[in-house]
Amino acid sequence: MATQPRDQKKQDQQPGDVSTTGHQWDNDEGYPLQEYNNPLPKWWLYTFYATIVYAIVYWVLYPAWPLANGFTKGLLASSMYQELAQEEAAAKATRQPLEKQLADLSLEEIARNNNMLQFAMSSGKAVFGDNCAPCHGTGGVGAQAKGFPILVDDDWLYGGTLAAIQESITNGRNGQMPAHLQTAGGNLSVEQVNDLTQFVLSLSQRANDSVSAQRGRLLFSGEASCHSCHGDHGKGSLLDTVGGQPLDHGIGAPNLTDKIWLHGGDVETIRTSIAKGRSGQMPAWGGPGGRLSPLDIKAVTLYVHTLGGGQKK
Amino acid sequence: MNHATIEKNISIMSLLTLVMVSIGGLVEIVPLFFIDSTIETVQGMRPYTPLELKGRDVYIREGCYNCHSQMIRPFRDEKERYGHYSLAAESMYDHPFQWGSKRTGPDLARVGGKYSSLWHREHMRNPRAVVPESVMPSYSWLEKNVLDYNDISARLSAMKKIGVPYTTEMITHAKADLEAQAIPGQNTTALISRYGKKVPVDDFDAKPEQITELDALTAYLQMLGTLVDFSSYQARSR
Repeated sequence: MATQPRDQKKQDQQPGDVSTTGHQWDNDEGYPLQEYNNPLPKWWLYTFYATIVYAIVYWVLYPAWPLANGFTKGLLASSMYQELAQEEAAAKATRQPLEKQLADLSLEEIARNNNMLQFAMSSGKAVFGDNCAPCHGTGGVGAQAKGFPILVDDDWLYGGTLAAIQESITNGRNGQMPAHLQTAGGNLSVEQVNDLTQFVLSLSQRANDSVSAQRGRLLFSGEASCHSCHGDHGKGSLLDTVGGQPLDHGIGAPNLTDKIWLHGGDVETIRTSIAKGRSGQMPAWGGPGGRLSPLDIKAVTLYVHTLGGGQKK
Repeated sequence: MNHATIEKNISIMSLLTLVMVSIGGLVEIVPLFFIDSTIETVQGMRPYTPLELKGRDVYIREGCYNCHSQMIRPFRDEKERYGHYSLAAESMYDHPFQWGSKRTGPDLARVGGKYSSLWHREHMRNPRAVVPESVMPSYSWLEKNVLDYNDISARLSAMKKIGVPYTTEMITHAKADLEAQAIPGQNTTALISRYGKKVPVDDFDAKPEQITELDALTAYLQMLGTLVDFSSYQARSR
């Protein structure tokens, strides 16, 4: 049965007005189902032709066809590699005067020169954001995850002077706290680890079992030899001494007497740190093949130094 | 010739179809014979170590390519952020390549060595614990799943069949090499003699007692983009 057509105009087309493809299905009540051989819509057809013309023009102007040895270069001889080289050269020319000063002046000289410090800070901030912030947090405020030092405070593991910061960034740091529990490869029993934990709590004046802590004190400078890295008073390798001798600042053993903790300062975390040990790695960013150029490192050193905890000496 | 004539004559139709398909085929296939000439000559490329190869499988399984590209384009902003633009040579042992095109997360083509393995562990557990603004989902099961590498030798020979130059020795010792790279304190001399000094050897997931999928994935991430020696590479001016 023929339904009422919606489009009156189409209905006006009588069979025979438009040629058909000759295909025919069905013949329901004298209405054969036939396929009109309508031309393609003009807007579509001309767009199609235009794309073909566009392709040919493109072949002529731009690199296109692979050949046995190389490829067609095109009249414009366009190359992204060349464009990159030009852009880099232009950027270099702009930065040249300031970058030369950044290279020539020492870190201390830059820190005293307001203009240069501004330049180093803006450049260092960009470098920091991409490379350092994933661990140390945006602006150096630290991360929720433990084990990544906060850079805005004045508590340092390897030193907060310009030179020490530059060294940390350039060559990286490897912090190793060995495991002390027997089952984890150390030489202490569970009770001894507990005693040490109590003593470490006492170092930062917190509630502790004083009898146990007293036993821990002996272990600290005895069997466990914690003092050989953390110092005789537990103030860490930067501030403390062993038998009057200063410690190597490259050890990076934290100060245990303050309230700032790298891996966490609750009883359980301290116990785990002593029992299983900790390792922290700051990747090296400088050197040959390093990710950052010496200039980048200089800029980011100054940036980190000014974050809040930079030390003069 | 009228279109109707072609449509109604099966021989002419077949012949012309064959001509059209041949042209299309030639345009697509012929360049593949010259593809080698488009790969730069570089120093330092090597096939993936067994552990890295397994890590790459994890990378593909988890669909990392859906958000991360491995293709640094020759633009100044990308070069300054990620390092030297990617070379064709750097994906020559990739089947399939992981260039990607969706850049929700950062490009990973040169992520190797950028972060410590500890960072990768924390980041996989909960990305927001280290990068507060991250939208990456957590992949906390990777450090719980023990890596299944019983098929590692077969995996290497399969790669060899499609053109990766694994030697018989590499295939035979694949299992030992995999363990040497992930278990701390193992003798790595043989591993390094086969794959070179740049192999990242570490206890990647901080669980020395077992090899997990996180070990494999981190090993893969830690080598990405570190192989080519750019000090000896001369960019082609083309």
